[in-house]
Amino acid sequence: MSSHRVNIATARIDTTRPLSFTFDGRPYSGYAGDTLASALLAHGHRMLARSFKYGRPRGIVGAGAEEPNALVQVEAGALTIPNLKATQVELYQGLSGRRTTGWPSLEYDLKSLGGHFSRFMPAGFYYKTFQNRALWPRFEHIIRHAAGYGSAPVEPDPETYDHQHHHAEVLVVGGGAAGLLAALAAGRAGLDVILLDEQSELGGWLLSAPNSVIGGKSASAWLQDVAGELQSLSNVRIMTRTSAFALHDMNMIQAVEQLQDHLPPSERTKGQRRQRLHRIRASRVVLASGAIERPLVFGNNDLPGILTASAITTYLNRYAVAVGRRVLLLTSNDHAYQGACDLARSGASVVLADTRSVLNPAWERRARAAGVDVMAGYGIAEAHGGRAVKGAHLMRLDSDRNAVAGNGPFIDCDALGSSGGLSPTVHLYCHDGGRPQWDEKRLAFVASATGRAKAGIYVVGAAAGEFGLQKTLEQTRQTMTEALAASGKSSSLASFNLQTDEPDTIPARRIFRVPDGKLEGHGKKAFVDFQNDVAASDIHLAVRENYRSIEHIKRYTALGFGTDQGKLSNVNGFAIAAEALGKSIPEVGTTTYRPAYSPVTFGTLAGAHEGDTFEPRRFTAMQESHVRRGAEFEPVGQWLRPWYFPKSGEDLHAAVGRECLAARRGVGIMDASTLGKIDIRGKDVREFLNRVYANAWTQLAPGKCRYGLMLDENGMVTDDGVTACVTDNHFLMTTTTGGAARVMTWLEKWHQTEWPDLDVFMTSVTDHWATAAVVGPKSRQVLAKLCSDIDLSPGAFKFMDWREGTVAGVPARVFRISFSGELAFEVNIDASYGHHIWEALMQAGAEFDITPYGTETMHVLRAEKGFIIVGQDTDGSMTPFDLDMAWAVSMKKPFSFIGKRSFARSDTARSDRKQLVGLLTDDPKIVLKEGAQIIESDDIKSPMPMHGHVTSSYFSPELNRSIALAVVRDGISRRSDSGIKAGRDVLYAWAGGKAHKVKVVSPVFVDPEGARQNV
Amino acid sequence: MSKPIMQSPLHAFGLAAQAKLVDASCGVWASETPLLGYISLRGNSADTAFVEATSRVLGAPLPTQPCTFVQSAKAKLLWIGPDEWMIVCARSALQALLRGLNEALTGIRHQIADNSGGYTQVYLQGKNARDLLSHTSVYDLAALQPGRVAGTTFGKSSVYMHRQGDGYCLLLRRSFADYIWRYLIRAAEPYGFGIARPERGEAQEDAA
Repeated sequence: MSSHRVNIATARIDTTRPLSFTFDGRPYSGYAGDTLASALLAHGHRMLARSFKYGRPRGIVGAGAEEPNALVQVEAGALTIPNLKATQVELYQGLSGRRTTGWPSLEYDLKSLGGHFSRFMPAGFYYKTFQNRALWPRFEHIIRHAAGYGSAPVEPDPETYDHQHHHAEVLVVGGGAAGLLAALAAGRAGLDVILLDEQSELGGWLLSAPNSVIGGKSASAWLQDVAGELQSLSNVRIMTRTSAFALHDMNMIQAVEQLQDHLPPSERTKGQRRQRLHRIRASRVVLASGAIERPLVFGNNDLPGILTASAITTYLNRYAVAVGRRVLLLTSNDHAYQGACDLARSGASVVLADTRSVLNPAWERRARAAGVDVMAGYGIAEAHGGRAVKGAHLMRLDSDRNAVAGNGPFIDCDALGSSGGLSPTVHLYCHDGGRPQWDEKRLAFVASATGRAKAGIYVVGAAAGEFGLQKTLEQTRQTMTEALAASGKSSSLASFNLQTDEPDTIPARRIFRVPDGKLEGHGKKAFVDFQNDVAASDIHLAVRENYRSIEHIKRYTALGFGTDQGKLSNVNGFAIAAEALGKSIPEVGTTTYRPAYSPVTFGTLAGAHEGDTFEPRRFTAMQESHVRRGAEFEPVGQWLRPWYFPKSGEDLHAAVGRECLAARRGVGIMDASTLGKIDIRGKDVREFLNRVYANAWTQLAPGKCRYGLMLDENGMVTDDGVTACVTDNHFLMTTTTGGAARVMTWLEKWHQTEWPDLDVFMTSVTDHWATAAVVGPKSRQVLAKLCSDIDLSPGAFKFMDWREGTVAGVPARVFRISFSGELAFEVNIDASYGHHIWEALMQAGAEFDITPYGTETMHVLRAEKGFIIVGQDTDGSMTPFDLDMAWAVSMKKPFSFIGKRSFARSDTARSDRKQLVGLLTDDPKIVLKEGAQIIESDDIKSPMPMHGHVTSSYFSPELNRSIALAVVRDGISRRSDSGIKAGRDVLYAWAGGKAHKVKVVSPVFVDPEGARQNV
Repeated sequence: MSKPIMQSPLHAFGLAAQAKLVDASCGVWASETPLLGYISLRGNSADTAFVEATSRVLGAPLPTQPCTFVQSAKAKLLWIGPDEWMIVCARSALQALLRGLNEALTGIRHQIADNSGGYTQVYLQGKNARDLLSHTSVYDLAALQPGRVAGTTFGKSSVYMHRQGDGYCLLLRRSFADYIWRYLIRAAEPYGFGIARPERGEAQEDAA
């Protein structure tokens, strides 16, 4: 119980608002303003986790997004959130949290046994050990139990999320001293500013250093003044609890805002989002994302009670928690001194060991005045302790080389902090390709002017490598003056008093791994990456095993993986790898920083794109009619189309059987509204159609329709449909349902880029027309009841004619076209009347038992006739000739058409291409699987030649047997009706583990003469 | 045979029965202005004959400034592209406008397509109407000044939008109306959502 609450007047906790919470089932208390981590530390609760690989006891190391160990599970049931960093969980009344590691228990972890044998678990342990595939499932069971973290909820998420788009002139990421000043500069200049900060309140490091002086006042007073002025500016929007996690091209930043997680579930606003994804597009982005302190790497540096020096300072000054009564600090630089002074003044006994032999006299004076015992030129060889740190063995360091120069004292302590310098948070800068540069003077990777130049992105403060408060403020003022000038504005900060009380800094010692006088791997484990249990010795081992690229070393050792993404470990890892490789740090470089900066929930990424707004669902004007008649629906592109209309007790098969027979023998009705429709007008419309379709359009008279195949440049079929001539210069084209938008774009592309001279305009009218197809021998009788101004007689209104008239009192275009091979009329009306026309036709057809049918029956009817579905029977490699549709190609048109030249290619012209045929199984009851491979023999030897595959396969109610369409190599000449070579028509279809004997036939199974559609 | 009845794309939501007078109880109020007339018009705005003929019929010259619209006494004329406009009018005026355009443009290069069945219009108002659109659309709403019209995203779909009075007019396609309306309700949840009575008396559910 060494960490404890102290009285710090300027701390950001509200002691008038105590909160109770539970952790691992035990009750605790804290205050508003605490994080779960600070509240647990206030109770002396330090061991929170067991490590990933060795099961070593672990405690809180950091105070924010960098935390590697303290991963906790918050709440239970559907609201549970796994693997939150305790350092980022804001405390609320009743919060219930628990550890995520330690199996079977935190006190006794099975893996810690392995820890004793850790020299048998080196880097690449899994790759090397579990090569026995047969045993792996057993190992896996144990490993998954032992190595796992938190658990995802199994219930559906009861919370909601959304996205919001913003446009700003200036976006500032980070609300610390630099970010506040940057936002103030831009805000005062009148620009539209958005300021983001991931914490619950603005201030950044100032919240941890409230006694620093800026412009003659305390940092906390300065913060209050600047934040107050920003809040008063209507052109400045401040968003706290909002973490910018990605920066994309064109200055687009993604940020996630926590709207509810800091509140007790009972106090969360109903209807409010849990989290919101903000997509912000800004003319200028100012990255004021600060820096993260990296710890020093020494033996047993992972014991609970060992933190970063800056985290110790934050817990003291921001949360009024002293991490210990006897605190040992180890530093390579000046930044640890302020915290050491504050800690000593709060009553702790503090020893500050500085690895440098020459100290900053100003800081040394201040530290000694505060009661800190300062030791120059020492490092830590190893820390001691079991479940908490108890002391450390110091070594005197050589003043130049990172080597042991002599023994040092053993220092008793109950908490230990280290500072190896600051690493700028350059993640966002790097997300769209920027590479940080190593700065040997600052000992940091900084966003450099020699990095990829990026217009409109500025980096200020510690993120730019300006670690001192004075330098941060001055560099921010300078950078914002330039940024504002680029926007044609001037800065009002010139006269702003930014004088601090900070002493001038002196250079830090260049040290990462603190030497213990032993060869690497022989002393106590010195950890680089806590979350993945990567020690300095593992990096050395990887190098000995000849890994050379840092990207490979990372993947072999797992350095920098995990939920902290190496925020503490990466730079130490790069430096240690550089040393092991005998290279400089710039030569080794960094691994790649990718979004997200910190974990983002799937819910946030999905936003409103779930449930009934997951994808657009397009409906026709007849939707209510279909629902009322019990239709089952299937998606076709974005459309939802009736699939079949089961009557009570019917399955798909029974319903389709009934629907098919109705269309063939009585009358059926289908909603064909989803077909794409394009109105094309202009004096060159015939010529345009000649070029975009394979067949000829010059002679088609007004009142007539024609089927056409649309090809790509390779001569392959990409779409088909019926186009009607309205007048000589006005046509109406239909496309496939799924192809409508693509065809429209295709036509516009060819017109705009290749044939702008053609006088033609195109407009999509897909949604304007609703279409009811009345199909079957009795369709004329049904239509006759509703239409008196069109002569429906076979002689006057022929197959492939269309007429304008009135149906059920509404102006209509009626097309005598058929996708079933039966007599059929497609009635097109303004979709506003879609419901009306459907109901009128149903009513008129009642006496003929008119039967609504869906896409499944449509597919069976068309397959019985050998009519193709583009995209099902074709796959982008089928020419019209492959489909045996030479009749739909006119090679005599004076101007070429798209795809024509490709017919002359040797591959397109060869005779043994895969061609569309019909297949009949020997056993009429067997319905082949679509996709079944066509083979020549039922003597299965693998591999064997595959000659094609089944594209469509159904049971035909009309024929009372199965039918199939297939593409088969040289298939047309194999057809039994071709009479060429006996026996070639017998093939096998391999499906369901069985070869089914099939006969190759014409794809037209019903009414091969085509008599029925002409009656 | 029953009397022909038109249905708007949002008919299934039964908006008329839920409509209320706009008050401060909701941050977003939406209403459909159903069953207007929509004409897709294409032509060459550099052709004076086309410009004069259309101007005569429509009561105002077609806007040629990109992303703008004008309201004439007869119709709203939206710029859609350099050679494309959408004419929005009362249903009762549709046939006369179609006839007028067809006659006036005889012999002049053009395209007229009646798209009245294919579109509807939604009006958004309330103190959070703009916030709502920032959730649905990527467009910079500060740039959507009065008189401007933008074709932009709406979730995974798209709309044309412009300001009208204190609110926003959205033009959307019939087949996407269900998706857009549901998306709109969902996006409005944090602000409170109400269904308003249509702004202008265009409801013609019973009109032939």
